[in-house]
Amino acid sequence: MKGFLDYALGDTFFHHLNPLIKLLISLLISIAAFISGSHLFIAALIALNLVMAARAGIFQRGVMLLAGLLKFSAFIFILQLLLVRRGNPLLHLPLNLVITDAGLSSAFLIVLRLIAGTMPLAIMLSITQMSDLSNVLVLKCKVPYKYAFALTTAIRFIPIFAGEMAGIIEAQTSRGVEMDTKNLFKKVGLILPLCVPLLITSVKKIEDSAISAEIRGFHLRTGQSCYKRYMVTAGDMAVLAFSAMLIALACIF
Amino acid sequence: MITIEGLTFQYKNSNRNAVEDVHLSIRGGDFLGIIGESGAGKTTLIRAINGIIPHHLPGDYYGSVQIDGEDTFDVTPSAISLKVGTVFQDIDSQMIASVVEDEILFGLENYSIPRDEIEARLSGALDAVGISQLRYRNISHLSGGQKQKVAIAAIIALRPKILLLDEPTSELDPQSSLAIFRLLKELNEKHGLTIIVVEQKIMLLSEFVKELAVMKGGRLLLHGSVRNVLKNTEQIGKSGINCPRVATLSNRLTELGVKLDGVCVTLDEACSMARRLMYD
Repeated sequence: MKGFLDYALGDTFFHHLNPLIKLLISLLISIAAFISGSHLFIAALIALNLVMAARAGIFQRGVMLLAGLLKFSAFIFILQLLLVRRGNPLLHLPLNLVITDAGLSSAFLIVLRLIAGTMPLAIMLSITQMSDLSNVLVLKCKVPYKYAFALTTAIRFIPIFAGEMAGIIEAQTSRGVEMDTKNLFKKVGLILPLCVPLLITSVKKIEDSAISAEIRGFHLRTGQSCYKRYMVTAGDMAVLAFSAMLIALACIF
Repeated sequence: MITIEGLTFQYKNSNRNAVEDVHLSIRGGDFLGIIGESGAGKTTLIRAINGIIPHHLPGDYYGSVQIDGEDTFDVTPSAISLKVGTVFQDIDSQMIASVVEDEILFGLENYSIPRDEIEARLSGALDAVGISQLRYRNISHLSGGQKQKVAIAAIIALRPKILLLDEPTSELDPQSSLAIFRLLKELNEKHGLTIIVVEQKIMLLSEFVKELAVMKGGRLLLHGSVRNVLKNTEQIGKSGINCPRVATLSNRLTELGVKLDGVCVTLDEACSMARRLMYD
């Protein structure tokens, strides 16, 4: 998921939405995914996420995100499949394990909910500048700038740390470490020690970033310092109404 | 403008002084290059001028750094930054925003610059460094040289009197390095900005700066005009830096009794000298 959460520049309808509305609609779509018990409805929400990504010009990133979430969900799927014992048995496995129709349905539902609940926020954050997000949190939600800045900086640093980790893995691979192994446990065992250099470089980067902010007057900022203005437009209201409608539909299905 | 007197600093958990008994005076409008091997104390000196030392980095601090008569020990780094702008070595860590425009706006907003003045400062800073066309671009998609220019624009938009740069060309190719130094020279000559730049590339520094300071082991070894400093080939060599070959050549010729106008700093000057020696 290279470039995940990295700001995708664009001039689309979704890019121009109010940052607060973007947060709200992603929250509403996530809630709809968790309210609904219908596989079909939640699958439709995932499709809607892909449509939004396409309209925002980041369809490829949306697909990559979906693929990444599918991989991540595989473990949860298997766990759920093996742990739910109610319903009609479909397959008996060694160690007294059994796969039931209710387990299969529940595993699918959880995976679909996880994907449909995660995608909207990731997509919206990819098309929102972090400075806009912190500004709007300060102006509209009255969040102290210090906290809004900390939140948006944490989000901004995710792709930077991902890049750092990729660099460390590349360096290890070039030294002959088999980082491309298919054995999941071996891979985890190889990656865990790399968290130490990642932590060291991350702390250094965060410290540099904090100093950089400080010497550009970070502590002098007030709630009214913001240059840009963030109006709620008719488009924002329409998208918000559509998201609210999804909640209503989720209650029905 | 900047007066450093007896500055000594030892970082917490370190057993040696990063800078030791440094005395340095920098006038307004100067363009000073600081050179020295790794661990010579160059970055620590920069941090002491912009107030990060002693306000952010703990350690034993002696002596004083005064900017326009004001001791940096007594004022916060935010207040110092109204006079002193800094561009750090790791440009990526310095970037606060995702888009060029927002990066420059960050400082302007923090200092609550009036709204009607912000646009002028923003476009002025972009123009001054020649990156107006990058205003709405994503920073992560820019080249190293472009990022360096964005960092400089973000600082000069705040209109500081002094600009500090810590190894601005460390990750740049030769052409981009030249472009950055041409820009710095222009900012110094046209806008009267006092510039202090820490750099490893002595050839590049010698060509553009007015004064050179050579550091070794935390101490200031040499300080003066570029020509005066480059006369000391041996001392520069001892500091772990290779003196520019053209300067070394002219110094050797002088030692051999050849009468020259002075030490050569650039390749062009060395060529003129060679032509004169051959035909005169």
